[in-house]
Amino acid sequence: MAWADIVTIAPLLASILLAAAIVLVDMALPGRRTPVLLVSFAGLAVVTALIFITGQESATAFGGAYVVDPLTTFLDLLFVSIVALTILFAPDYLEPRDLPLAEFCATLVFAMSGAMLISAAADLLVLFLGLELMVLPGYLLAGFAKRDALSTEGAIKYFLLGSFSSAIFLFGLAFVWGLTGTTRVSGVADALSTIVAGGAPLSAGLAMGLAFLTAGVAFKIAAVPFHYWTPDAYQGSPTPVTGYLSVGPKIGAFALIIRLFVEALGPVQADWMPVIWVLAALTMTLGNLVALTQTNVKRMLAYSSIAHTGYMLVGLTAYAAGQIDGLEGLLYYGAAYTFMNLGAFAVVAALQRRPGVTSSLDTFAGLGRREPILGILMTLFMLSLTGIPPTAGFFGKAYVILAAVEAGPPVNYLAIIAVLNAAMAAFYYLRVVVYMYMRDPAGEPTVSRHGVLVWVGLAVTTFATIVFGLFPSALVDVVTNAARAVVRA
Amino acid sequence: MNVADVPILSIITFLPLAGAILVALIPRRMVGATRAAALGTALLAWVFSLFLLLGYVPDRPGFAGFQYQEVVDWIPVFGIQYKVGVDGLSVALVILTTTLTWISILASFGPIKERVKEYMASFLVLEVGMIGVFVALDLFLFYIFWEIVLVPMYLIIGIWGGANRIYATIKFVLYTLVGSLLMLVAILATAFVFQAATGSWTGAFDYESLRAFSGSVGFSDTFQLFAFLAFFLAFAIKVPMFPFHTWLPDAHVEAPTAGSVILAAILLKLGAYGFIRFALPLFPDAAATFAPAIIALSLIAIVYGAIVALVQPDLKKLVAYSSVSHMGFVTLGIFIFQEQGMQGAIVQMISHGLITGALFLLVGVIYERTHDRLIAKMGGLAAPVPVYAATLGFFVFASAGLPGLAGFVGEFLVLVGAYAYSPWVAAIAALCMILAAAYLLWMFQRVAFGEVSDFLRSLGHHLTDMRPVEILTLVPLGTLVVVFGLFPGLLLELVQGTVVSVLHDVGAGTAINLFFWQ
Repeated sequence: MAWADIVTIAPLLASILLAAAIVLVDMALPGRRTPVLLVSFAGLAVVTALIFITGQESATAFGGAYVVDPLTTFLDLLFVSIVALTILFAPDYLEPRDLPLAEFCATLVFAMSGAMLISAAADLLVLFLGLELMVLPGYLLAGFAKRDALSTEGAIKYFLLGSFSSAIFLFGLAFVWGLTGTTRVSGVADALSTIVAGGAPLSAGLAMGLAFLTAGVAFKIAAVPFHYWTPDAYQGSPTPVTGYLSVGPKIGAFALIIRLFVEALGPVQADWMPVIWVLAALTMTLGNLVALTQTNVKRMLAYSSIAHTGYMLVGLTAYAAGQIDGLEGLLYYGAAYTFMNLGAFAVVAALQRRPGVTSSLDTFAGLGRREPILGILMTLFMLSLTGIPPTAGFFGKAYVILAAVEAGPPVNYLAIIAVLNAAMAAFYYLRVVVYMYMRDPAGEPTVSRHGVLVWVGLAVTTFATIVFGLFPSALVDVVTNAARAVVRA
Repeated sequence: MNVADVPILSIITFLPLAGAILVALIPRRMVGATRAAALGTALLAWVFSLFLLLGYVPDRPGFAGFQYQEVVDWIPVFGIQYKVGVDGLSVALVILTTTLTWISILASFGPIKERVKEYMASFLVLEVGMIGVFVALDLFLFYIFWEIVLVPMYLIIGIWGGANRIYATIKFVLYTLVGSLLMLVAILATAFVFQAATGSWTGAFDYESLRAFSGSVGFSDTFQLFAFLAFFLAFAIKVPMFPFHTWLPDAHVEAPTAGSVILAAILLKLGAYGFIRFALPLFPDAAATFAPAIIALSLIAIVYGAIVALVQPDLKKLVAYSSVSHMGFVTLGIFIFQEQGMQGAIVQMISHGLITGALFLLVGVIYERTHDRLIAKMGGLAAPVPVYAATLGFFVFASAGLPGLAGFVGEFLVLVGAYAYSPWVAAIAALCMILAAAYLLWMFQRVAFGEVSDFLRSLGHHLTDMRPVEILTLVPLGTLVVVFGLFPGLLLELVQGTVVSVLHDVGAGTAINLFFWQ
């Protein structure tokens, strides 16, 4: 291990050290909120700085198992944003319920380390390591409210199905390793290029490997029909955790998909494209159809997050059909979705500050009058999730749809399916707006005060949702760079 | 700074946004200030829009006639620009928008007492979207304004509407959204085809370069068919054409008065404007292919709207269905590809905006006093409220197409064009003028003449005649109806360039043979 390797992995190291530091601070000053938050945010600032510094130029470490390229930088910044925002929204929710903040922060940062490891993985084993490091804290978080039966139930479902899918995924990796003789991403890609160069159909072994890998990642991104854990895990978890689960592991799993499918399995993309096509169509449609009937906002957002997975898969399909715009669109969508969805969950969490308040639609009745600012912000997030301009969600959708249109048949049919789905989604997103502005609250409305951290977080998500919609150029440049980094010349 | 350098279109478009922000900042209890700020902004936007007329040069040749242009790169990677500019058609519609917006805001002072702040802000944002649609010269920008219109209208119907408002507003949004999202796919596909053909995204969303491309290279037949259908669906739902009209009566009946006014006067015009501006010149061959079918749908809309209006018991629903019928004339005029026809369609757009806007205002006036809109309950209004009855009579006759008023000019020109296309089409359309006279005059007779009904008598002194403010909202509309009725040349001269250039582009188009029609 050379000194240069340490420098290259500095952000990851810092992140793991930060997680440990949070635990230590809590041991030294038990139950105190301020030191934990101070350390967390100072640490995240350091991690961010290190990401920027190491991201200056591309590099590899540990003999090519770890890579830093513009994609790594982009994804890492996204993960840090996700974790930082989640920590901003959490204290107001956790404290009244006597849930420990320090463990929450430390677990989140551990998960972030895993996600960062995925985004930098250039080796199948490192990829798997990162995946497990990312999802294991996720199971813990889902069961964070350990005295709540729903939370425990959701966590167990998440854990069991998650472990299964990890095993299936690992099985798939073994096939790929066996057939290509290497675990290096670039090595796998080279070997596959040679295998498919003759134009021969995929061998049975490789096809099985692909199938297992696809099923494994489909679980992680909650693509239909591998999505059954999502609604229970999302509804049962404490709301800030749900917010995190709906973006963190999802973006992390998409990072995995990019490193694995786009990079390693790139040479056989024509073979997995049709599968992803079907997954995308099913995921969008079923996610939206089921979301239509939900009366609990958290559960509705869970199903809608399945639908958003589908839109992102449209980008992936377009990429596999030869349009790099598809990958760019996927990344853009991921960033846009992160901020608008976290914003929406933040509003839900803020409303649930008082223990006992449910996340059912009735909680939102008359919100526009009770808490005008929260009402307006929630409307903005709902419009963005629907894809109404000029919001980030709109541009993200336009981006993946443009890529799908460019890719020609059969991918351009996905564009039609996607927009019809968006229209369907308008119904349930706007129903929240209906409750907020067009229904009167049942019973005595309560106005709760919200901490300054929540407002800061909401300001950030709002700002991002608007700016990524009105002035997309800067982010377009970033995702273009990131996408170009992984595409083999 | 040179006068020509003033970004007047951006000022007109975004002034209402500034107004909306101002309104949002005014404390909730200062209702008077809120109303004044909203009205002030709308009036200011109106005044600015009138300046467009001063500097506009009507007879610039060709479609290079977009004036007051402003171009700023927006998303350069895809060649998306902030590009605005106006031709005669846009100028006319922008002024129609600014005029009706301040009128609507003024007319809302009385009826809207709840959540005034949100209402006024929504209305001003709505104005931003509407003006933006008429001035945008970049397809992406156009789409954004097109969708922005949706949100405030959704809120206006959903919050301040009638009993069944939530159903109506969601129906309105979903219908519109399905059409417009498919149009988004078509816009992106159009840009991509341009990019693929020229090898560069530069100008891929630019209306002028796309139109030049359509005129020189042209889009392929298959592509035109699909793209035109997607645009058609979006615009046809907005117009609304038969059979996509079912959201309209619900939305109109549930919307507050001013919402109905804007819906009828401006929002429906967005669809017709889209046909003339985008669907026809960009996809002329497909337009020519589908024209017969669209003419048939227009005729159905004309007759069907009129027949259904005949049996409506509710005043507002009657006016709503009359809109379907009148807008049928607009689409008919557009798709016969004939100079008088298209001129007539445009005049009809403006006159329908003025007349139907006024009719909805008048329905609002009586509803505010009686809290009822059923024709059967009215009767003999001429005695207790003579001014109201006379005004209603004026606009009823205008709507029925009385010569000398604006409504006549549009329908007459469309009929002339239709006759040149096919005497049968003209004959069917003319039938509708009789039906229009029937449902409008019959309604007027039942409402205004005869014995004063028991219902009205029971209202006693609550049934007051029009207030000065209400008269003030109707005077500009009435004046314009007379002016355009007597001097249609004012309007025709303004839009002549647009009509000629669009027809020139369409004329180059030859219908694509669809295999199942051969």
